[in-house]
Amino acid sequence: MSEVYLAGVGMIPFGVHAERGLVDMASQAAELALQSACLYPNRVDMGFFASATAAPLFKDVTVGQNVFWQLGINQIPIFNVENACTSGSAAFYLACNAIAAGQAQVAMVVGGEKMCVPEAGLLNSGATELDTQLGLVTPASFAMRAMRHMAEFGTTAEQMAAVAVKNRHHAALNPMAQFRKPISLDEVLSSPMIADPLTRLQCCPIADGAAAVALCSKEVAKTVPGALKVLAWTYGTGDYQNPQDMARWGTDYRTCAQAYATAGLAPGEVDLIECHDAFTIGEILHYEALGLCRPGQGGKLAASGETALGGRIPVNVSGGLLSRGHPPGATGLAQIYELAVQLRNQAGERQVPGACTGLAHCMGGDKDGDSKSCTVIIISN
Amino acid sequence: MHAESKQPSPPVAPGVFSTPSRGRDPVLLGGRCLECGRNFFPRPPRCPHCLGPVKEKDLGSTGRLYSYTVVRVRPPWGLPKPYGLGYVDLDHGGLRVLGLMAPGALQDLQIGMKLRLAVAELGNNLQGEPCLRPYFEPADVKPARGD
Repeated sequence: MSEVYLAGVGMIPFGVHAERGLVDMASQAAELALQSACLYPNRVDMGFFASATAAPLFKDVTVGQNVFWQLGINQIPIFNVENACTSGSAAFYLACNAIAAGQAQVAMVVGGEKMCVPEAGLLNSGATELDTQLGLVTPASFAMRAMRHMAEFGTTAEQMAAVAVKNRHHAALNPMAQFRKPISLDEVLSSPMIADPLTRLQCCPIADGAAAVALCSKEVAKTVPGALKVLAWTYGTGDYQNPQDMARWGTDYRTCAQAYATAGLAPGEVDLIECHDAFTIGEILHYEALGLCRPGQGGKLAASGETALGGRIPVNVSGGLLSRGHPPGATGLAQIYELAVQLRNQAGERQVPGACTGLAHCMGGDKDGDSKSCTVIIISN
Repeated sequence: MHAESKQPSPPVAPGVFSTPSRGRDPVLLGGRCLECGRNFFPRPPRCPHCLGPVKEKDLGSTGRLYSYTVVRVRPPWGLPKPYGLGYVDLDHGGLRVLGLMAPGALQDLQIGMKLRLAVAELGNNLQGEPCLRPYFEPADVKPARGD
């Protein structure tokens, strides 16, 4: 397998873009990524477009071809990827494979979503699934993990709320985030209850937005200033065994361990992490799966400040999904955007000093009490 | 001469519970692999472990609450607002299954509590018509019999 490099990243601020269409937003992010990579569009020889909601909300299909042609990119293979919340990071995984296999010298991944429309409801795992028909919505599955974590390990509502406070504190320093006003523990805990024990400020908002990355071969990377090396790209689906342990997420642990092993790193041996904080309890569970603390100790770690900017291992210095909002097609790529900005020492006030290695972690979809997908990507400068 | 008789509501999905009838509590219906003996809910068309044939299996009607939540935002399927969901460890068959919680029992939910299956008209199906859904109620409540 050939080495894979990250040549450039681009994104537009996430939020409500009522006047803009998906193709418009996505092609702008793609243009920014090419500029960041110092590459002309005609260098791209494979394209991937990620979106989870274009089909269900707008009946739009094969959007990728429309997006890439906005930049004059045509004739090359283009793939459209839907993978729930990991749509963007799963597309990234495929693009890495294409470079590693020598099938492409420059592969571009673009992800976008237009979700701030009245038709958008809560995400679920597919209307015809029995779980969905019994009322399972995504916040409920994380709420049940939270209840179990509290019962087994004594995790508290305040410890979970600390994740939201920390990530919003980070977002205040990030112009790409949707919500940037700092919030207090009291505000988080007293916001309306969504699914017990998760309050509104512990659930990521939706957003319109787009992000893009350009990946390239080692040969091309030599011509790209600030190219970063992709050390690991891993993608695991669930095991769907019954019973599932909802306080120790096997699929999460398994995929994280695989990524560390591929990169030749010990668990937690990275300088910063962007993880899937769709809900506060999610970040706590991911601390444990990522080896930042022992199983069950994630709540204490969240409240300790060790995962804040300036702490031992900063997590979600971008503000995370909780502050950025979560357009699933773009989220995994927005995480990569943050890693690239940090590893290129361009993050300004939220810079993690001396950051050399970063990890991006994303999960998506519910099935049988498990996740349908988990991606972990490790990048270094 | 004909009586205005209401058509009974359809189940939310076929084959996941036995329809309650006079004097018989409803049970959850899953599947059991005839080759490897694993149990499933709902019943899959073949065993995902060994691809063996799967036959219907009575999973009983009782269990204990493993975890739960009360969903307070706009409910899907015309379910009551708020509505409760939980994972239930069934007493028979070794499975942990997702289930709705009885609308009247949301204040009483506690991890570890004993539960019993009930079936009633609750919300709508994919076609937007009222339908029967299984749900769990505290086991110390007198069962509601079909009549």
